[in-house]
Amino acid sequence: MMTTDRTDPGDEHRESSLDAPLAALRGALDASNTPPGVEKELMAAFARQFPAKRWYHLLSPLQWGMAGGLGSTALVAVMALMLSLHAPSHNDHLEAALDDGLDFIALDSAERIEQEANAHVIQADVPRTALAALGVPVTPQNAGDSVRAEMLVGADGSPLALRLVSLP
Amino acid sequence: MTPTNADTDTELLRQMRSGTAAAFQALYRRHQGPLFRFALLRSGSPDTAADVVQEVFMGLLTDSFKFDPLRGALPNFLFGVARNLILKHEHPRRREESLAWDEDADGEQSGDGSEQYEPLGRLLSEEVAEQVRRAIALLPPHYRDCVILYQLHGLSYLEIAAICQVDIGTVRSRLSRGRAAMAKRLAAHRPDTINAV
Repeated sequence: MMTTDRTDPGDEHRESSLDAPLAALRGALDASNTPPGVEKELMAAFARQFPAKRWYHLLSPLQWGMAGGLGSTALVAVMALMLSLHAPSHNDHLEAALDDGLDFIALDSAERIEQEANAHVIQADVPRTALAALGVPVTPQNAGDSVRAEMLVGADGSPLALRLVSLP
Repeated sequence: MTPTNADTDTELLRQMRSGTAAAFQALYRRHQGPLFRFALLRSGSPDTAADVVQEVFMGLLTDSFKFDPLRGALPNFLFGVARNLILKHEHPRRREESLAWDEDADGEQSGDGSEQYEPLGRLLSEEVAEQVRRAIALLPPHYRDCVILYQLHGLSYLEIAAICQVDIGTVRSRLSRGRAAMAKRLAAHRPDTINAV
């Protein structure tokens, strides 16, 4: 916006005879602007100087580094959580034997068990020490305990298999 | 982030340099008018004025002119750049004009302006405005700078001194002589028109 509204100390350049003609010139020039083509050319030059960024350019290398670090940390955390949920405990095979009535532990050969026509199940209390060979944990404190078990025995009373019913 | 009218030139420049096209566009639209009008009056040619404005903003885009906000406002910097570009454009005939003015320092310069500035004449419909335009066009370039920037753009002596890279006293004397020459020419050519306004 053109104007002469300012005060300069010692401004002696105020000639009233020029004020009106200059105002007329200002009025005539007010609508004069750069041709529209100039703006188009400048914006095209801007686009050449700053080409459109691809999505992977939106983050700086530092930001990418931070994102990678965070992603890796999150991945490790998720994997650790999944592993902790699915990691087998040291009693897994025993718990399976306790929960699943079909999981008998063979004490004799499979052929011998299959050939036994009159096998039957009996309840028995088995000393824990006798089960140490089957993986049942035995400590000095529980060595004297017994474990409730179901035993598959043959017609002659020989043990063929057993499963643990309770593990105190 | 979309630039707003309230954004300062410095903020728009920062956004422009980070690749925001809208900031560059806002800067251009904010300053192109005054720059074009200055270049138009200073050079007398709409084509030259458009070229100058384009060169000014190309320089701003590529930072080839090294604008420093601590050294002054952007508009004055742009005026200074435009002035230097115009000087470069008119360099071949500047020497002749300067010599002619030196020989006829009271403003009665041999007039070659009417044909030379004909393109600008098409833009100015009012007769008085055209007379003033011609009077300005016939001033020596260094007087013309001061008269245009002071009378039509409202800049202070200090700002004009910075743009023209001269001291304030020089601005004052150039302005005084320029105005006197203009008044004399206008009174001599169309006294009835001038007095009627």
